[in-house]
Amino acid sequence: MSMLSYQHFPIYSIMVLFLGAFLIVMLGRNKAVRNILALLAVTASFCFLAALVKPVMINGEIIAYWMGGRAPAGGYAIGIALEVDALSLFFGLLVATAVLVSCIYSIQYMSHDHNVREYYTLFLMLSGGVMGLVLSGDIFNMFIMVEILTFAAVALTAFRNTAKGALEAAFKYLVVGSMGSTCILVGTIMLYAQVHTLNFAQLSALIPGNLNNATKLAFALLFIGFGTKAFIVPFHPLAADAHGAAPASISVLISGVLTKSGIYGIIRLSYFLFQSMGLGTVQFMLVFFGCMSMFICVTMALAQHDFKRLLAFHSISQIGYVLTAVGLCTALGISAGLYHAMNHTLFKGLLFLAAGAVLHQTGTTDLDRLGGLSKKMPWTTVLFLIGAFSISGIPPFNGFASKWMIYQATYEKAVESGNIGFLLVTIIALITSVLTLASFVKVSQSVFFGQLPKEYENVKEVSFGMRFAMCIFALLCVVTGLFPNLVTKYLTEPAANAVFNVTNYINSMMGSGYAESVMGESLPAVQTCTFVEVGCWNPVSWLLVLAIALLAVTLVAVCGKYDQVSENKGAALTDSKYDLFFGGEESVYSQVGGGDLFWGFKHNWRHYFSFMHDLHSGIVNDYALWAVVALALVTVFLQIVL
Amino acid sequence: MSTVLTALQYLGYILIFPGFLFCFLAGMLLCGIDRKVVAKMQKRVGPPVLQPFYDFFKLLGKETIVPAAASKVVFLGAPLVGFAALVVIQLFIPVFSFTVFTGVADVIVILYLLLIPAMAAILGGAASGSPYAGVGLSREMVTIISCELPLVLILLAVGKTVGSFLGTGITFSLTDIAAYQAANGSLITKASMIPAAIAMLLVIPGETGNHPFDAAEAETEICEGLLAEYSGAPLAVYKLTHAVKMLTLTSLFVALFLGGIGTGIMLVDGIILFLLCVVLTILTISLVHAVTARMKIEQIFKYYWTVVSGLALISLVLAWYGL
Repeated sequence: MSMLSYQHFPIYSIMVLFLGAFLIVMLGRNKAVRNILALLAVTASFCFLAALVKPVMINGEIIAYWMGGRAPAGGYAIGIALEVDALSLFFGLLVATAVLVSCIYSIQYMSHDHNVREYYTLFLMLSGGVMGLVLSGDIFNMFIMVEILTFAAVALTAFRNTAKGALEAAFKYLVVGSMGSTCILVGTIMLYAQVHTLNFAQLSALIPGNLNNATKLAFALLFIGFGTKAFIVPFHPLAADAHGAAPASISVLISGVLTKSGIYGIIRLSYFLFQSMGLGTVQFMLVFFGCMSMFICVTMALAQHDFKRLLAFHSISQIGYVLTAVGLCTALGISAGLYHAMNHTLFKGLLFLAAGAVLHQTGTTDLDRLGGLSKKMPWTTVLFLIGAFSISGIPPFNGFASKWMIYQATYEKAVESGNIGFLLVTIIALITSVLTLASFVKVSQSVFFGQLPKEYENVKEVSFGMRFAMCIFALLCVVTGLFPNLVTKYLTEPAANAVFNVTNYINSMMGSGYAESVMGESLPAVQTCTFVEVGCWNPVSWLLVLAIALLAVTLVAVCGKYDQVSENKGAALTDSKYDLFFGGEESVYSQVGGGDLFWGFKHNWRHYFSFMHDLHSGIVNDYALWAVVALALVTVFLQIVL
Repeated sequence: MSTVLTALQYLGYILIFPGFLFCFLAGMLLCGIDRKVVAKMQKRVGPPVLQPFYDFFKLLGKETIVPAAASKVVFLGAPLVGFAALVVIQLFIPVFSFTVFTGVADVIVILYLLLIPAMAAILGGAASGSPYAGVGLSREMVTIISCELPLVLILLAVGKTVGSFLGTGITFSLTDIAAYQAANGSLITKASMIPAAIAMLLVIPGETGNHPFDAAEAETEICEGLLAEYSGAPLAVYKLTHAVKMLTLTSLFVALFLGGIGTGIMLVDGIILFLLCVVLTILTISLVHAVTARMKIEQIFKYYWTVVSGLALISLVLAWYGL
């Protein structure tokens, strides 16, 4: 195997990130050197993974890579292994894309900060950690990567440690995040004690035949452990604090990359290790946590007054969609869930970068103090709106395509299984979507439209580098929304196929025939992912019709002198007709408030909101307690049903 | 040659029927009839039926003022985008057995496409910088949330009923819904669908922002909210959009519940559709307008999420158990 054979690419893509981190510590005193090193590392990592698309996604190969050539002997896999199937590569590509764009953005965004060398070091450690996690072929390495990424993320959360709340957020994250990591470690130990291996493929072959109380407990521990990484309810308050404090470029990683590692872990755990997704009860568990996250977090977001905290809650809400769809255990469901996971990385990244741009130019993310920035920052406004439309599922952006698949998947599941509960899931998903839209209307009104406060009159648009990074995400949001068929064909369907073909996964690692010999009768059937959509959505045709319609309207309007408007040119010619109407009063005496934008909605739900307000005390002890309670509940549930 | 003809044919669909020209004429007429009927019910003389046309052309000639605080591009662009998007929706709604574009959008997509005109109005209002628009947009958004739940339930109920007949379990395809009704008679003749149909009738005035669900406009209180700063041609386009929305929602009702009665001749079908829309407008918009007073925004929300959603839920549960 030559050095340039693609078999080596997975380890290269992890190595360059860690190598970059160490080189920056050594050589990164100079600004240009560290920028170039960081960019080189993330670009190289991306390229190595992109080169794997053809063999893995299209040809359907699974890359099993044994470090140092220590292939399994005597039926036991001792060596350190990487295993890249379409699922790993799918998540790996998400990670690489988000990291690349975030790095481009960081160059300008972090230029005024101190200790930028340390920033890039931690940034690359975090990226390398997630990359290692999704490409790893054994569970202990996965734990090591979890540790690396958790501590890098904690340190980066507190990176601007002079900012209010940064240390507190980092501390909360440290406490609950460590609980999660510990859960993963204990779960790993228990599995090892039962079946004496750490290799994923071998575990997947052995666990279904060794399902006892100990392995069930391990399932619960691992589920909660990866749950904390994905910040699903009840771990969502950490995300809000962490995103509120962290630099925007890090929020992109925490929301776009770190939460995905949690989702990836949960998929591997429930579909591969335990192969338990055939059970309605385990499906119920995933869908339940998904729906809780989806709905609770979107309502929490409606009550926020900080741009980035609001985005943080939405991030978890969208992760809820992913978990719900993945929990359905249908081909359409998994495909939809992965599609939404990808879209989440793109639109959430874009929104966090837009929030970062606002913070960078104005120094605040307080929704009550901002306003009217669209005239000062037109690029950021447009890019933000693309992100906002995507996340709220407005056609033709990507959020719609994936959510639409999720609605179908849940409804189809409801009809197929005859379980009216899944109908409720469809309804919750649809309502969550419109609530998401509502809260982004609030953001656009309070940040980009409305009135411009005096103090921000000299605000300028962000620099080209930051806009460029946002444009990449925005472009991807539009492209993946317009061509859903290509996305499903080349990305999500191969990944969904991988999820349903555990046998392949085991045999490529352990040698062909291994799964058959160990599992015998209980071997899961090989499936090909096929699904029939119950509706139709053809974004390109729709866009074409809309374009023709818009062209016609605009032509008529312009011929009718629509654009001949009278506006206030130059400050000298002030005419009161260009002022806003304030009911005849001076603007300062205006009786029109508008502080609470969704009063009509919140008033009817006031009991729910006050309950939620009391529940989210902000005390880390409470949140740690929630984690323990969740663990206990999941443990009991799994002991009973599995 | 034939491709040119096909292209011209589709251009005709977009520009004439059921596209722009039909939307413009039918929507404005509906608006005029509505105003006249309400006046008659309130023992007023009322404006002539063609008054919306006069208003429209008069507004076109008025000065368009862009406030100094507004973002000009969004402020002027939003009305056009909203109107175009609304006309495009009309192209996806079947006129009995005839649909211009099949296989592009289903009912769930229509549900989301309906958000685009609303979003355009909201963004346009927000871009004007007016505080009245700020209040208006929050109310508009709450109204949208209010209508969303019942609409979702209605669409799911229809999808289940048609789907279980087709043997696929569910369907969201409007073509399937139209085909089902052509074969089995209108959906409204099924007892289980009657609550959903009533719920849909109640959703129509909410979606169009008509009395008593017009808290978002509330001329007497917040100066038409989103439209507070609009004047001249953009205002005319908004008025037109509002009129066409009445047509869109009533024809969506026809497509969902009163399908299967078309003759197959396009002109006749167009006239039947328009007449049905007139009846529905009088029933759901004019009658309700004449006898009710404006509701507060929290009352609107509560009303839709309890009464109307309850009705739709009854249908959904009945459809679920195959009744």
